[in-house]
Amino acid sequence: MEGFDLECGNSVAAFQSADGVSALQRMAYDIIIIGGGHNGLVTACYLAKAGLKTLVLERRDVVGGQAVTEEIHPGFRCSTVAHSAGPLSAQVVSDLNLTNNGLQLITPDVRVLSLGADDRSLCLYNKAGRTVSEIERFSSKDAGKYEEFVTSFQRIGRVLAPLASMTPPSIDQPTPNDVWNIGKVGLAFRGLGKKDEFRLLRWGPMAVADLAAEWFETELLRATIAARGIFGAFAGPWSAGTSLGLLWQAALDGNAIAPAAFVKGGMGGVTQSLVASATAAGAEIRTGVEVSRIEAGGKISLKKKSEILEARAVVSNADPRTTFLQLIDPVNLDPNFLLKTRNYRAHGTVAKVNMALSRLPSFNGVDSVEKLSGRIHVGPDTDYLERAFDAAKYGEWSSEPHMEITIPTISDPTLAPDGQHVMSIHVQFAPYKLKSGDWNSRREEFADNVLAVLSRYSPDLTNSIIARQVITPLDLETTYGLSGGHINHGEQALDQFFTFRPLIGWAQYRTPLQRLYLCGAGTHPGGGVTAMNGANAAREILKDIKAKKI
Amino acid sequence: MSKQYDVVVIGGGHNGLVNAAYLARAGKKVLVLERRHVLGGAAVTEEVFPGFKFSVCSYVVSLLRPEIIRELDLPRHGLEILPLDGTFTPMPNGDYLWRMNDHARTRREIARHSKLDAEAYDEYGKAMIEMAHFVKPIMSMTPPDPTSLKPKGLKDLAFLGKRFRNLPAEDKYNQVQLMTMSAVDFLDQWFETDVLKATMSASGIIGTFLGVRSPGTAYVLLHHYMGEIDGAFRSWGLSRGGTGAISNSIADAAREAGAEIRMEAPIEKITVKNGRATGVVLSNGDEIECDVVSSSVDPRLTFMKMIGEEHLPGDFTDDLKRYKYRGSSGKVNLALDGLPDFKSLPGPGAHLRGAVSISPSVDYMERAYDEAKYGRFSRRPYIDMVIPSLTDPSVAPPGQHVMSCFVQYAPYNLKEGNWDDKREEFGDTVIDTIAEHAPNIKSLIRHRQVLTPLDLEREFGLSEGNIFQGELTLEQLFFLRPAPGWAQYRTPIRSLYMCGSATHPGGGIMGAPGRNAAMKLLADWKRGRV
Repeated sequence: MEGFDLECGNSVAAFQSADGVSALQRMAYDIIIIGGGHNGLVTACYLAKAGLKTLVLERRDVVGGQAVTEEIHPGFRCSTVAHSAGPLSAQVVSDLNLTNNGLQLITPDVRVLSLGADDRSLCLYNKAGRTVSEIERFSSKDAGKYEEFVTSFQRIGRVLAPLASMTPPSIDQPTPNDVWNIGKVGLAFRGLGKKDEFRLLRWGPMAVADLAAEWFETELLRATIAARGIFGAFAGPWSAGTSLGLLWQAALDGNAIAPAAFVKGGMGGVTQSLVASATAAGAEIRTGVEVSRIEAGGKISLKKKSEILEARAVVSNADPRTTFLQLIDPVNLDPNFLLKTRNYRAHGTVAKVNMALSRLPSFNGVDSVEKLSGRIHVGPDTDYLERAFDAAKYGEWSSEPHMEITIPTISDPTLAPDGQHVMSIHVQFAPYKLKSGDWNSRREEFADNVLAVLSRYSPDLTNSIIARQVITPLDLETTYGLSGGHINHGEQALDQFFTFRPLIGWAQYRTPLQRLYLCGAGTHPGGGVTAMNGANAAREILKDIKAKKI
Repeated sequence: MSKQYDVVVIGGGHNGLVNAAYLARAGKKVLVLERRHVLGGAAVTEEVFPGFKFSVCSYVVSLLRPEIIRELDLPRHGLEILPLDGTFTPMPNGDYLWRMNDHARTRREIARHSKLDAEAYDEYGKAMIEMAHFVKPIMSMTPPDPTSLKPKGLKDLAFLGKRFRNLPAEDKYNQVQLMTMSAVDFLDQWFETDVLKATMSASGIIGTFLGVRSPGTAYVLLHHYMGEIDGAFRSWGLSRGGTGAISNSIADAAREAGAEIRMEAPIEKITVKNGRATGVVLSNGDEIECDVVSSSVDPRLTFMKMIGEEHLPGDFTDDLKRYKYRGSSGKVNLALDGLPDFKSLPGPGAHLRGAVSISPSVDYMERAYDEAKYGRFSRRPYIDMVIPSLTDPSVAPPGQHVMSCFVQYAPYNLKEGNWDDKREEFGDTVIDTIAEHAPNIKSLIRHRQVLTPLDLEREFGLSEGNIFQGELTLEQLFFLRPAPGWAQYRTPIRSLYMCGSATHPGGGIMGAPGRNAAMKLLADWKRGRV
C-alpha cells in the first residue's frame, strides 16, 4: 500500500499563477485540521498537547460540527443535530481533562420511553431491576430474559470495545503491532466461551429484527431494540447486517439499550470543552474559514482569502466524499481510488425537527415527567420501522416516520426560559434524494407530517409550539457539510466497517495523498459522538512524525 | 440381530443419492430410503399431466459439482446437460433486454441500452470469474470450527485468511463487497441500466426471504459464474428428461456401486440408544439397523420429528429452533398448446430457449419483496420461466410445451388466509403477470400445477417450503450452517450425520453437501470415530 507523493513542484506553481495567490505562508503550522467537529477538535487537542503547532479551520461561524448547541429561537438553545453524547470515550474525556474544561454529562435514570400505539408505553431505565418490573407489565417471559440479554451484550461488548480504540490493521502488510492487537482481541474472543463466541459470529450479519425477536416477544420492546440497529442507516430492521449497528453501539458504551447521555448546555458543551482543552494546549482555532482545496504536500488554500497555508500534515475531519471529491483536484488521485470513493455509500436518511415549546407537552398514558427525561422512541412495532424504511427506498419520506425525541430542558433548564422547553426530534426516514420535488420546497410539508404523527401520541403538542427549525438531509449537507446529508459520514454497513472504512487499504487514517490524514466519522470506528476517530487519527499522525515520515 | 446395513441414508434427493453413491463406492453397505414414489427430492421429473413431464421443483442446472459428474461418471449413467441460452427480460415499455450465452452478442445488446454498461460488462465478468475461483475450493471444504483450538481448525482458518490476504488488492475489495453488500448496491457500482441491474440481481434473492436491496444478496451473483457444466465455466443448462434425470443418473451410479434404494419408505423415527443412532423405524413399523444414519432431510425433520428433543442437548435444540426456513417462493408449471408470444419480441425465437425473467426494474423487484415482508404474496412477482420442451422435445407431446415458472415472493406465513385457500388466486396472479408481457398465454394453458410453499413442505418435505432447506443468509452459512458448532456434517447424536442442503455449502443442485458429508463420514470411520 504505497501513497503517491504528488508533491511535484509544478502543481504549486500552476496553482499560484491560476489563482493569483499573493502570500504563501510557509510552515507557520505543524498541523492544520479541516473542520472543527468534535473529532477534529479531539485530534487538535492530542497533537497540540504533543507540542505541535496546530490550527483548526472551521467553515461555519461556530465550532462543533454536529455536536453543537445553537439558538433556534431567542432564548431557546438546542442541540441542533446530534442530541445524545453516546458513547463518548471515557479515555478521551480523561486524557483531555474535559471535565475540568467544562464538560458536564447528565445521565437521567430513564434511558428510553417507548410510546405504544395503544397509549401503553414502555420505559427502560439504567437500573436493570426497575426495567424488569416495567417489562413485566407486558410479558413475564421477556422480563425473565432481560438480565441475560443485558449481560450477554456486556460480555460481547467488552470483547469488541478494544477494537474501537485501535487502528484497524492493514490486511496486506500487518505490522507486528497489528498482529499483537488482533491477537489480543482473538484471545478475548476465545475467552467468551463457545455460546457467546457463536452468538457474536451469528449476530454480526443478521437482521436486527431477527435478533430482537430471538430474545423477546413484546413488539414494543423488539422495536425499541431494533431501532438502535438502524439509527442513521439506510436500512430497515429487516435488512441483513443491521444487528452490527446494535452490537457495535453496544460495544462502544457497554449497553444493549442506549442510555440518554445529555450534556449540560447541550451537545455544544462537548465541543466547547474540547475548544477549551485545545486552546489551553496551544492550538489555534479559526471559525468562518472555508478551505477550498487540499494540495499535495501538506498545502491547503482558503476560499475567498487567496491564502495558502502549509503544514507538516493536513487532517481532514470532513467526510471522505467531501475530502476526496470536493477538496482535492482529481488529477492528484488515482482514478481507481476516485471510483471507489464515488462508490462509497453516503445517502443520508435523517432529518431533524427542533422546537421551542411554551410548556412541557403531555403524552398519552405517560404519567410522570421523569419518564420523558430520557430518549423518547416512536415506532411501536418492527413492521412500523420497516415500513418507514420502505418509503426511503423509493425516494419518499416516511409518512409514518420513526422518531427519537429528546426534551433536554427537563434535566437542563438553562437551555430555555423558565418553564419553557426545547424538543429535538430525530426523524427517519428522510432520504437525501427525493423522487418528487426537492427538500427546499418540501421542508415545511415534511415537518407538518412529522408533527401530525407525533400529535397522535401527544395531542397538546402543537398548541405549545413557539418556533420550529427543520433540518433536512439537504441542510445537513449545505449547512453542516455532510456529503449526501449522511450523519455518520457514510453508511456503517459491513462493507464500510472497521478495516474497510472508508475503503479497504485505507483504514489507517492515512490517505493516498502524503501528509493528508482523515479523522472524521468516515474512519473507524464510525459515527456517533465517540471522539475515538479523532484520538486514533492523532495517534497515527504522531507515529508518522516520530518515524520522520512527515 | 446383526446389522443389516452400514449406512441408512434418509431421503432420496440428489444429495442423499450423492452421499449414498460415494459411501457405496467406498465399500459400505448402503440403503437409501425415499418417502415418495419417485426419486430426486426437489430435483425430480414427474408426469403431472399425461404426456407432459415437469421438472416439478428445481428446473435448471448450474452448480452441479464437476468433480461429482466426473467421479460418479454421470454421463455414462444417462446425464446429459443441454445448454440454456441466456436470459430474456421483457420490459413494460415494449423494449427488452436479452443476454445470450454469446458474449459478443450480449455486449451488443447491452450497448443498445448503455454503451458504458457494455464496457463494464466485460470488466465485471472478468472480476466475477476471479472471485468464483477464490470461492470454489471453499465449496468442497468442511467448514472449520472457529471456536475450536484444535490445530486442524486453526489451520483451516489460517488457510482462509491467507488465501484472502494473497488476493490482489482489487479482488479483496470485490470479495468484501460481494460477501456483505446487497446485489443492487453492488451492481450500482458497475452498471447504470436499471433493467440490467434488476435482472442480474434476481439471482441474489432466489430462495431467500430478502430483497434485491438487502445486504448479503450480492454473494449469490457469484453463483452465476460458478456454474461449470462439462468444464464450460458459467453456463446454465437443462437436464435432458428434466431435472429428475440428474437424480436418476446419480441413483444409477449408486446402485452400480452396490447401494440399495427403496421408494415409498417413509421413516417414522431414528432410533437412538445411549446417544447413538442405531437405525430407523419406518412408518409401516419395519425396523432397520445400521451403524450410521445419514440424513439428507432438513434439521427440523431430522431432529424434531425423527429424533425428538428429549435426546438432544438444550442449546442445540435452541439453535435448531432459531434456524430460519421462511420459504419465499412458489412454482407454477404449465402444460401449453403453443408458445407464449411476447409483446416486446413477438414470435417464436431463440429468446424463448433461454430463461425468461420477469424482472423489469429494481423497484419492481423491491416492491415484490415489500409485500412479502408483511405477509402476502407479491401482486406482481418476480418470475423466472423456462420452456424446456424447446430444447428437449421428449418432455412434451409434439407441438406442445411445458413451461416452468419459478415465482417469488410467496411467503410461507400468510398474514391473511392460508395457502390452501389462496393457491388458485396465487396461480392467477402469476398468469396475469405473465400475460402482461405475453397476452396469449391464457389461451394456451391446458393444465396448470400450482405449488405453494405449503405444498413444497407437504409434498417434498421442505420445512416451511424453503427450497434450500434453510435460508442462505450469512448467519446461516459456512461454519454456522445449520447450527453453530455443528457445521461439520456431524450431529450431537453419534453416528448420525447430515448430508443435505442444510449443511455447507447449501442448496441448489450442487451435490456438494452429499459429497462433503460422505468424505467426512468416511474419514471418521477410518479413525474409528463413528
